[in-house]
Amino acid sequence: MVGQKVEIPPITVDVKEKPTSDTEKKVKHNNYSLFNIWVISLTLKVLLAVGYHSTDFDVHRNWLAITYNLPLSKWYIEKTSQWTLDYPPYFAYFEWFLSQLTPPIVRSDGCLNIVEKGAYGLPTVYFQRASVIVTEVVLFLALQWYMDASRSHAGSRRAFVAAASLALSPGLLIIDHIHFQYNGMMYGLLVLTIVSAKLEKYLMCGFCFAVLLCFKHIYLYLAPAVFVYLLRAYCLNLSFSSKKSALVNLVGMVRWMNLIKLGSIVVSVFAVAFGPFVYYNEIPDVLARLFPFSRGLTHAYWAPNVWAIYSFFDRLLIQVYNRVPLSQYPLQKVFQFDPNLLKNTKLVNSSTRGIVGDIEFLILPTITPKLTFLLTLFYQVMALIPLFLQPNFRRFVGALTLCGYASFLFGWHVHEKAILIVIFPITFLVGRDKRILGPFNLLVTCGYVSLFPLIFTCNEWLVKVVFTILWYIIFYFNFRKVVKLPKQLEGTGGIILDRVINGYILGLIPVVAVTSLLDIFEHKFEILRKLQFMKLMIYSVYCGIGIISSWNGFSWLYFLDESIWDDEI
Amino acid sequence: MAKPKKKVKQPLKKSPVSAENPPNSIFKNSPVYDILHNFEKAPDQWAARYVLVMSAILLRAAIGLGGYSGYNTPPIYGDFEAQRHWMELTISLPVSEWYFFDLQYWGLDYPPLTAYHSYIIGKIGSFINPEWFLLNASRGIENNEVKFFMRLMSMFSELILYIPAVLTLANVMGKKFNLNRMDQIIISLIIINQAHLVLIDHGHFQFNSVMLGFFLYSIIELIKKNYVIASIWFISCINFKQMGLYYSTFIFVFILSQLKGFGQLILIGFTVILTQLTILAPFIRDPKNILQIVYRVFPFNRGLFEDKVANFWCTTNVVVKYREIIEPQNLSKLALITTVASILPINIILFFKLRKAKNVIPGLIYGFAGNSLAFYLFSYQVHEKSILIPLIPSSLMLLFDPSLIDIVQWVNNVGTFSLYPLLKKDDLILQYVVSNFLINWLIGPKLLLQNRGLLWNLIIKGSYFSMLVFHVVDYALPPPARYPDLWVILNIGISFVAFTLFWVWLIYRTFTLKVT
Repeated sequence: MVGQKVEIPPITVDVKEKPTSDTEKKVKHNNYSLFNIWVISLTLKVLLAVGYHSTDFDVHRNWLAITYNLPLSKWYIEKTSQWTLDYPPYFAYFEWFLSQLTPPIVRSDGCLNIVEKGAYGLPTVYFQRASVIVTEVVLFLALQWYMDASRSHAGSRRAFVAAASLALSPGLLIIDHIHFQYNGMMYGLLVLTIVSAKLEKYLMCGFCFAVLLCFKHIYLYLAPAVFVYLLRAYCLNLSFSSKKSALVNLVGMVRWMNLIKLGSIVVSVFAVAFGPFVYYNEIPDVLARLFPFSRGLTHAYWAPNVWAIYSFFDRLLIQVYNRVPLSQYPLQKVFQFDPNLLKNTKLVNSSTRGIVGDIEFLILPTITPKLTFLLTLFYQVMALIPLFLQPNFRRFVGALTLCGYASFLFGWHVHEKAILIVIFPITFLVGRDKRILGPFNLLVTCGYVSLFPLIFTCNEWLVKVVFTILWYIIFYFNFRKVVKLPKQLEGTGGIILDRVINGYILGLIPVVAVTSLLDIFEHKFEILRKLQFMKLMIYSVYCGIGIISSWNGFSWLYFLDESIWDDEI
Repeated sequence: MAKPKKKVKQPLKKSPVSAENPPNSIFKNSPVYDILHNFEKAPDQWAARYVLVMSAILLRAAIGLGGYSGYNTPPIYGDFEAQRHWMELTISLPVSEWYFFDLQYWGLDYPPLTAYHSYIIGKIGSFINPEWFLLNASRGIENNEVKFFMRLMSMFSELILYIPAVLTLANVMGKKFNLNRMDQIIISLIIINQAHLVLIDHGHFQFNSVMLGFFLYSIIELIKKNYVIASIWFISCINFKQMGLYYSTFIFVFILSQLKGFGQLILIGFTVILTQLTILAPFIRDPKNILQIVYRVFPFNRGLFEDKVANFWCTTNVVVKYREIIEPQNLSKLALITTVASILPINIILFFKLRKAKNVIPGLIYGFAGNSLAFYLFSYQVHEKSILIPLIPSSLMLLFDPSLIDIVQWVNNVGTFSLYPLLKKDDLILQYVVSNFLINWLIGPKLLLQNRGLLWNLIIKGSYFSMLVFHVVDYALPPPARYPDLWVILNIGISFVAFTLFWVWLIYRTFTLKVT
């Protein structure tokens, strides 16, 4: 470039293009990079840094303060602030590591004070926001690894679209960069688990997942799938030789070397995490923090799952009971509830009946933690059986997805943020077959829109809505372009189903529009203020129905369609 | 996507129209192309437009999270409060009082279209929440809701006028100059997301995009040779902000050069007068009102320049203290003479060139850029924000010669740089850094720092380097106590030199322009 003559403005790009075109052929299918996407999204994230952040920001700040000021043995006991440390040890170590990096200006800003309510300024905000942005690089690297791992041109194109859709996920933008959490790094580890499973690096897979568990224990919900997959694909060898005795066969079924290798890796990961706390005899405190059983079935804002629908029907029946004549007797007969409760107007009108001990349902039977646990377990086991029989990568990711679904739909005290636990694995499957696209679209749209109430400030309203729509437009078209078509032609049924799904997704627009309008005119019309809870209910019921339907669609394909799950490309 | 290589080999600027097939995009290796190439195929291109528009909204919404002019600075606040104040006064007072009301506190000093625009927004706003726009009572109101509403309205105004205008213009000019659709979209994206306009309109807070949108529509009609409609758009432009007058000499010269007969001239003159009268209609009953508008809109008693601005007067004022040696009333005359002298040559040369020309577009763009920059550099009472006016036509040069990207982006960068002292006051440094980074990174350093001969390399790289040094100095050192404005003067010095060089280049291009 430098050696060229003065005066003629050369089209340098063209000159440069020639030499690369030869090498391009060799790496043709490997030239997709997330770097540009990362930079673009980086600019948006930096701009959002000064915007709204939730109390989770103070939670993490408090953890910085705790780990910085106190010895390890006190970490899980300290409770000056209500935001006590309730993530597993690696996360605590991570916060300790971050706290060591705080520059003096942040320290003097009140970032590292153990106080009831954080008093901090912009330096703390910048520091913590920057830590989220930097640690999110794990996700981008993991996704880049996933893209590089694909073998064919079409495959890497599919991988690129999937990876880009996760890298730009509106969920991460809303939860991490507006609301404030560290999901980017967590899901980066999950992606590492998935990619190493794809590459059949089982030890790596086990290691990453164990580390992930010690960062955030919500991923325990996915553990059954990982466990069964690693057990079956790496540690067992189910060949039965009739020449040998039953005992020899039984012993030979286990690949002992592999089992020991994997086991020692996982155990040492957990030992590093919990060892120090065993040493200080702190384990009961740690466990009490990690598994608090004092929360209600639903959160103040119902996560869009089965229990949201269930609660909705309860509310509906209360209205029926109170307003429709002659309905009282049959309702009473069918559900056998205590009618005196319904006379207590305060109880009926309370919008957040979500603390244990409170009565959550007035007409429908009460849901116990045990029931939710059994339901979750049942659906997870159902998903694991095909995985056990056919332990390949696709089945594994499918089982992960279904485990995520089961935990999200039936779990106890589920947060709407947990929807990412379903969205991440399913994205790795979408490219595989056009028929998954329907459930996928339904899931991502309903899942991401259900996050909207999390960010209630008006300034961020435009950001979250526009970003989500933009994301959906981009990836709706790109996924359609790259997905594989099923071998047999789609019948009219499939087309109609597609239309219905698209119609339902478009229905989210009026949902968002109406709830936002209700917000806008709230202080003008007195009545609207009473509908506060109604808005949230519209969100969770509408999105809940969408997510449950997408679960049905996905389960149908998982259990009844063999062709998707064979590993051959 | 194999395109014939032969066509591309020749420099684009010499024969932009000759190639039959659209030439290969010069943006091929830039990040913006990498991002958008998924929409390259014809059936997907409409999606690229949506992506473009929505990402523009997203950028503005994100910038809008930052500060604005006059935040938390009672008693007078800043431009944000001025705009809000106009909304409350237009909806609360009869038209005849608009230009008289409490002139000390942000009296209305923009032409009537701004007043009507404020009126509409005020009406919408007070429908949502009357407390935002109560006359006097809501002075200095600062809350998230009113901020968001105002931001939304400035986005909305831009979305209705400016962005569609850029897209249409890219389409119209793209067809004439054989730009492929991808390049049209990329260039529109570059023009729409220039840091200066985004920062001023959606950070600092003003409605420049409305005026610029009117201006762009006027250019579109000029290209289509609909001079009557073009003049309606243009009169709207100057009736939204008087700064639009920077374009006025050239649009006059241009239309004059294109006229085929005397009848057409009469028709256009009649249109201009009628449009102007229509806009002034509500005020016309009382001549006192008209006089007051003129008096408010053209404040000849305000001084040679406002604050610190990178034009000739303010920069040379460091050495020559004009206000001490020349009487105030003579100052305006001096500015007038200098301005006329500075624009006369290119207008004369363009007039004769364009009379014969078939393809008038390059001349049209050079003319607007050169004239408005001359106004910025030499005229009376210039604001730092007025740099937007020459920058927009300068950016349009990309649409007939995309290979000018390095020069165009360079002058745009200098423009944003010249606004830095203002943005610093508004607490928009983060937004300034990010939006500058974004637009430059999208284009890519390979294009921005391409080799263009010794002189240009020296100018472009030299000014980038000095801007960098400025920012380091500004960040690291407080200005010396004796000269608290030293860093600002350094800023305008750098900007002024760059603007002047660009202006000289524009004149050079005008003189060497080969008309076809």
